[in-house]
Amino acid sequence: MRVLLRHTARALVAVWLTLSALFLLSRSVTDQAAFIQSTLTSNTRLDAQTNQAALTRQLLHRYGLDVPLFYVSWQTPTGWRWHGCRNQYHYWLGQLLAGDLGLSYRQGTPVRELLREALHYTLPLTLLATVGSVALALGLAVSLSYRPRFRRLMLLALHGVQSFPLFLVAVGLLLLLANPDALAWFPAFGLGLEQESGGWWQSTADLLYHLALPVLSLVIVSLPGLVVQLDGAIRQELALAYVATARSKGASRRRTLWRHVLRNALLPTLAQLTDLLPNLVAGSVVVEVLFALPGMGRLLAEAAATQDYPVLLGAVGLVAVVRLAAQWLTDVAYQLTDPRIRL
Amino acid sequence: MKRLFPGFFVLLLTVTFASCSTSDSNTVTPAFRIRWAQDPDNLDPLVVSNGSAFEIANLTYCSLLKGIEGKTDFVPWLAQSFPTTQRLNDSLLLVTYQLRPEATWDNGSPVLARDVAFTLKVMNCPGLPIEMDQAMFGFIRDIRLDSTDARRFTLVCVGQSPDHVRSSGDFSILPEYVLDPQGKLRDITLPNLRQAQPAGPVVADFARRYQALQLQNHPERLPGCGPYRVSGWQKGRYLTLTRKPQWWADTLPAPPHVLQAFPEKLTYQIIPDAATATLALRRGEIDLYSLMPAAEFTRLQQSATDQQRLQFYTTDSHEFLAAGFDVRKSVLRDALTRRALSQLFDVPALIQATQQGAAVASVGLISPRVTAYYHDSLPLLDFSPVAAVELLRQAGWRRAGTGSWTRPNAQGQPEELRLGLSYRAGEPAYETAARQFSAAARGVGIAVELRPTEQSVLSRQLRAGETDMSIRTFSGNPFSYDFTPLLHSKGIGASNTTGFSLPASDQLIEQIAATDDPARKTRLLRKFQLLLHQQRPFTVLYFLRYRVAAARRLSVPVTGLKPGYEAARIRTKVSQP
Repeated sequence: MRVLLRHTARALVAVWLTLSALFLLSRSVTDQAAFIQSTLTSNTRLDAQTNQAALTRQLLHRYGLDVPLFYVSWQTPTGWRWHGCRNQYHYWLGQLLAGDLGLSYRQGTPVRELLREALHYTLPLTLLATVGSVALALGLAVSLSYRPRFRRLMLLALHGVQSFPLFLVAVGLLLLLANPDALAWFPAFGLGLEQESGGWWQSTADLLYHLALPVLSLVIVSLPGLVVQLDGAIRQELALAYVATARSKGASRRRTLWRHVLRNALLPTLAQLTDLLPNLVAGSVVVEVLFALPGMGRLLAEAAATQDYPVLLGAVGLVAVVRLAAQWLTDVAYQLTDPRIRL
Repeated sequence: MKRLFPGFFVLLLTVTFASCSTSDSNTVTPAFRIRWAQDPDNLDPLVVSNGSAFEIANLTYCSLLKGIEGKTDFVPWLAQSFPTTQRLNDSLLLVTYQLRPEATWDNGSPVLARDVAFTLKVMNCPGLPIEMDQAMFGFIRDIRLDSTDARRFTLVCVGQSPDHVRSSGDFSILPEYVLDPQGKLRDITLPNLRQAQPAGPVVADFARRYQALQLQNHPERLPGCGPYRVSGWQKGRYLTLTRKPQWWADTLPAPPHVLQAFPEKLTYQIIPDAATATLALRRGEIDLYSLMPAAEFTRLQQSATDQQRLQFYTTDSHEFLAAGFDVRKSVLRDALTRRALSQLFDVPALIQATQQGAAVASVGLISPRVTAYYHDSLPLLDFSPVAAVELLRQAGWRRAGTGSWTRPNAQGQPEELRLGLSYRAGEPAYETAARQFSAAARGVGIAVELRPTEQSVLSRQLRAGETDMSIRTFSGNPFSYDFTPLLHSKGIGASNTTGFSLPASDQLIEQIAATDDPARKTRLLRKFQLLLHQQRPFTVLYFLRYRVAAARRLSVPVTGLKPGYEAARIRTKVSQP
């Protein structure tokens, strides 16, 4: 219990430090008025006589960017200066402790709501891709150990596929399987043209149909790494004496592989799998932009491009928190898989 | 586990085919589907922050006036006629409007002058996101309602330029009956509202009620008097507009251009990637794709199968690509050097490389399609390194033994002609122009450092005067010729990123903005183009052409203003017997 508490406390401090660093870094190294300036520049209706400096000041005030960033600041002529609690970090931390991630500058919507909407699109995509990749990796790695000749060819192919960037794979699939000049089996974008009314079966079917290519892209890209690693671990385990002992006791090759070898071979793969967890909430910018899915990857990319700090911080913070949780999970999973391991 | 995989694939295939069968039935819906690259983000009428939101505002609300490209001017929209004006003293202008008698809200009540007064009060209501509205329409200081005619009113404006008259009618009129059914704001005058700090209880209560509507996400809660209402919006995916079954303009015997709305339903599909959008168009999943990249457009135009299913439109826009010089930099302080550097742009080759030949070279910042104002006697930019060398010599530059150019600076110290060329990273047209210029400059001994820069950083650098040369696009329109932000001394530190200003150019800019007489405006604009041609604070490389590809069954009115088409006037072609 004490260990658990210590781990949790350590994780909470790590979360606070990570989010604080993100907050301070994102706002200190960028021009806080940049997003306002780009809005003003793109607005051709603004009157020629507009006092842009005054307008920028008003908008900075609206977004709470007209107060100092932190409790203290360094100014060359005067040195350190104390600003008290009237600073951006203090307000943000107060909001955060109350569970409020702030409002998006662009959309005027609570960041929590935007993250929820984006996860609604991202999670089915990334979960399907992860489950598909892991299931295929397990099946492929185990089946390769039965077929040495096929194994060599397959590994060669997997190494080849691993060198393809995600963008290339996704565009290739799109041009091959959603192209009227080739095979137009799958839709080119999105999750259906409009909100479909129908039962859960219809909705699920529609979702799977529209997610087929995006999921396949992610599976193709993540599969080689998992299979190559797991195959190597299985090969290593197969050479150990306990495998011969199990076989000599009459255990079938299949039973030996699934019950004994795989359990030991999975240890290094566990770290790989928990590494995939942050990707579940981070989404994939490439796939989401290409297939027009409004998920977390796109939200992050658009927030970064438009300096929408609250959204950027909320999304990156969520990914960071999940990464820390994934590391904690890895520790737990290691101990469950191999009780000899003590962290 | 081995048995699990075939099961998984069987499930996937089953649902795939199930979906295929349902999807086919959806493709026959009569709605027009238009591709958008970007979501509107925020549909609060007070916060129209991008082109998509502006397009929706124009289809769901009406303003008093509307800019029509074909007329190169604003025309009456909710107003019955163009407003009459009267100068009150040296600085005030009275603009009197009469509203159309047919105009009604969705509940059947007429659109009255008090709705306009209410809208102006909302745009000045403390506690609401009104900063941009105040910046754009803050010159409207008061509204006087006509006691004898509920549809007649006069706006009291500060500033007497013709642009103010047009801008005074360019905001969406909001329904008082929805936002303030009890008319609580009626007793508060606009000047009082503007000065009231802090806001009184009535105003604060109104602001709370307005915010509670969450119009940024729920535009359907504030129906305008435009022809469409938002009937569906999944952020980042699609937005659907449905035409009102009985729109007030339908009662007009011959609705003017601005009051025509043909499609029953318009669905905007948000597809950020251009290649995906092209595939969707070719598959018939969208009907219209505007602002298409040149290479994709040309490829489709040349494809026999796409010629059968698609129709292609191009139109000259008012957006141009230009190379800007920071005239505050010592090496760029004289016009001769800037002209010499301009000679190193090969515009025809650039148009071919970046726009597949579909762009229009221009002598300056007025589009050649605006024939009345375009200075066609000036020569187009000629690619000539020889002429560039000669101009550099005239500017006092001497070629050193190393091949580079030097001359004394203002302090008498020798300085080398060495430039940084900044542009937005990831934009192929900018990249190509920069590389072409760099190669030509290197050929005559000028070292150019290419600086692809992230947009916000570039924007800050330009404002701070930290760039030597920059390549970017500028947007204009055919209604206003006020160059104050771009080239007047008042714009330095904000939009005048070249730092250029001369007493003569400031005076010309002010004269152009103040005149409404076409003949005088033509004379002044030609004079201004000549001055810019000689001074070259920036060099216009070409005006872009907007490319629109649409399903062959559609008749699409295209325009040189973004988004490149008039959605409300898209129609299905009548099939020939």
